[in-house]
Amino acid sequence: MASVAITPMESNFLVPNATFFVELAAFVVLLFLLAKFIIPPINRAMTARQDAIREQFAELDEAKSEASAAEEEFKAQIADARHEAARIREEAREQGAAIIAEMREQAQVEAARIVEHAHTQIEADRKSAAASLRGEVGTLATTLAGRIVGESLDDESRQSRVVDRFLTELEGAS
Amino acid sequence: MTGLLSLTGLLPFAADSGEEDKPAIEIGHHVTREFAGMTFNIDTIISTLVAGALVLILGFWATRSLSKDTADHVPTKVQILWEAVVGQVNKQVEDNLGKVHPFVAPLAISLFFFILFANWLELVPTALNEDTHLLPAPTADTNLTYALAAVTMLSVWTYGIRQKGVKGYFKHFAEPFPVLLPLNILEELIKPITLALRLFGNIFAGGIMLALIGMIPLYAMWAPNILWKAFDMIIGVIQAFIFALLTVLYFAMAGAGHEEHETHEEYEDEQRSKKLADQDDNVGHDDAASAEPSPVPAH
Repeated sequence: MASVAITPMESNFLVPNATFFVELAAFVVLLFLLAKFIIPPINRAMTARQDAIREQFAELDEAKSEASAAEEEFKAQIADARHEAARIREEAREQGAAIIAEMREQAQVEAARIVEHAHTQIEADRKSAAASLRGEVGTLATTLAGRIVGESLDDESRQSRVVDRFLTELEGAS
Repeated sequence: MTGLLSLTGLLPFAADSGEEDKPAIEIGHHVTREFAGMTFNIDTIISTLVAGALVLILGFWATRSLSKDTADHVPTKVQILWEAVVGQVNKQVEDNLGKVHPFVAPLAISLFFFILFANWLELVPTALNEDTHLLPAPTADTNLTYALAAVTMLSVWTYGIRQKGVKGYFKHFAEPFPVLLPLNILEELIKPITLALRLFGNIFAGGIMLALIGMIPLYAMWAPNILWKAFDMIIGVIQAFIFALLTVLYFAMAGAGHEEHETHEEYEDEQRSKKLADQDDNVGHDDAASAEPSPVPAH
C-alpha cells in the first residue's frame, strides 16, 4: 500500500502517458502496411477467384444448354428417322399388297381368258364335229342302209328324211 | 488514485502481503523508462511490436503464397483466414456505408487482427516472476486502447465532415431536436472513451483473473487455468470483433442522413427495414444487431 501511496500517478492505469504516442505511431504504421501491401492483393485474389468461378459457371451453363440443344436435335433426328422408317415400311407393305392384288387380278383375267378361249374352242370343235358328222353320217348311213336294204336311197328328199329321223332317234336315245 | 487504493485494499490478497511492502498482484504496474522527460511503458511497447509483427508476418505469408500460384485460384489456409476476415469486413462496410470504402475496410481489418493478437498475448505464459512479465497483453494498457480509439474517432469525424461538409456535419448535432445538442455532443465524446475502456477493461480483467488463478497452488490451478484461458480466448475474439464492428458502425452513423442518427438499435432497425425493402441480403445486419448491444461480454 505504501508504494501505491507514495507514487500514486505512476500506477493509475486510466491516465495515459507517453506510451500513447508510441502506440499511435505503431498502429498507424501497421495500418499503412496492411492497407498498402496486404489487403489489396487479398482483395484482388478474392475478386479474381470470384470472377473465375462466375466465368466457369457461365461456361458450364453454356455447355449445358449446348448439350441439351444437341440432345434435342439428336432426339428430333431419331424421331424423324423412326417416322421415315415407319413410312417406308408402310409404303412397302402397301406396294406389296398392290402388287399382289394386281398379279392376282392379272392371273384371274388370264385364267378367265384361257377358260373362255377353251370354251370357244370346244364349242367350235363341237360345232365343226357336229357339222362334219351330220354331213358324213348321212352319206355313211345312206350307203350302209342302201347296202342293207338294197334300195337306193339316192333320192334326195327321202334320204334326208331318213337321216333326220335317224338322228332324232339317236338324240332321243342318248 | 483513491479508486485504485480502495481497489487494491479490497482485494483479499493485498492485505496478506501488506507486510511485504508490496501487494502480491500489482495493478496497472508497468516496466517504465524515462526518455526526454516522458514516461514510456516498455513492456506494452514491446508486446505491441510483437503483436504487430505477428499480424504482419501472417499478412505477408498470405500475400506471398497468394502471388506464387495465380493460375488455379486455390487459396492456401492462411489466405483463407485472411479472406474470411477481409470478406466479412468488406461485407459489413458495404452494408453500412453503401460501398467498400478504401479506408474504412482496411482500418477495421487492421483493428480486428491487431487487437486479436494483442489480446491473445495475454494467454502466453511469459510471466517469469512477479517483476518480469515479458509479453503482457498490450490491450490491457489504456495507452494502446486510447491510441486505437483516437485513430478510429479522428477518422470517423474526418469521414463525417467529408461526407456532409463542415456545416452539414455540425448541423447534424442539433437534430432531430436542438434540445438534444448537449446529448449528441456528449455521445460523440463518449464514443472513443467507451471504445478504449471496453477493450481495456475486458483484457485487463482477464489478466487479473489469470494472476488470481496463478496464486492457486499448482496441483489445483490447472482446471481453472484451462477453463479461464479458453474463455479468455473467446473474449479476445469478441472484443476484437466488437471494436472493428463499432468502428464500421460509427463511420456509418457519421455518414448517414439526419433521420438515421438515432440510438444504435433504432438505427439498425431502420437500416434493416431499408435493406429488406431493397434486397433480401441482410445477414450482416443480423450479426451487427446481435453483437452491437453487448459492449460488456459476460464477466
